[in-house]
Amino acid sequence: MSNLNINSSALINDHQIGSFGNYHNKEKSELLTVKELTNLSIYQIAKFKSSKANVDLVSIDGLNLPKKYPDVSYNNNDTRILWNGPHICMVVSTDTDIKEKLSSIDSDDFAVTDLSHSRAGIEISGLHAIDVLKKGTPLNLNNSEFTKNNCANSSYNGISFMLDFIDDQPLTFRLFCLRSFGGSFYHSITDSALEYGFIGE
Amino acid sequence: MLEIKCPYCGKRSQNEFAYGGDATVKRPNLGDEVSTKEWDNFVYFRDNPRGKHTEYWHHVAGCRQWFKASRDTATHEIFNTASLEEEL
Repeated sequence: MSNLNINSSALINDHQIGSFGNYHNKEKSELLTVKELTNLSIYQIAKFKSSKANVDLVSIDGLNLPKKYPDVSYNNNDTRILWNGPHICMVVSTDTDIKEKLSSIDSDDFAVTDLSHSRAGIEISGLHAIDVLKKGTPLNLNNSEFTKNNCANSSYNGISFMLDFIDDQPLTFRLFCLRSFGGSFYHSITDSALEYGFIGE
Repeated sequence: MLEIKCPYCGKRSQNEFAYGGDATVKRPNLGDEVSTKEWDNFVYFRDNPRGKHTEYWHHVAGCRQWFKASRDTATHEIFNTASLEEEL
């Protein structure tokens, strides 16, 4: 039996580097950028229904758990905690020590699950990033409804995904879907991005 | 396209939701003597009203929570939604 080559990339057979679609005669600043997100730690924190623990007392890397849609708790260390449902949060971080930081959470009250390898992550940025999203998701992405540091779960062309609004200058979104849907999801996103032209990085 | 107000996420498109059946059906109490007729009624028989109907819905592509909705089966108007703990 041969050794398995474990690669953290969920999109190794899909993501391509280069310029695609309608990129001719356009400045780089006008084009979209599509990146695969790798080496992110993703943990789900879910409070048990029977637990009486006070969620306000939970602190991870100095962050409290967000309490309602569409809140995100975030800090400068690039740790973001996304609201996923009542008493369910998703911690997304580049911090290599996040696992140790999460170990302080009481396992009698909360289930902490490592989902790092069960998600495919894409970051899309650029002037038309929101237009790409609007092509496939029914979410209301208008400024009054959905702003920087908001998150939501929805579907994109029928594929369930999690959306994190990272920045508005330039417009930057992180998109996460189940790893097994990564290829189809990447295809859906990049197909919608062809009209505006994009750079795969 | 219908918009359904999830009690946790607010108004969202219908295609993020899945219908979960009649919310008025009550399971026979655990430990009670249950006749075949009562089981039959619980498992198979449903009213099919025209008009206001209380239903379970699941925000399957959102917060993944179950909730109750009051909907008109003829016009599809959704009058109200509530979490499972709340009264409609």
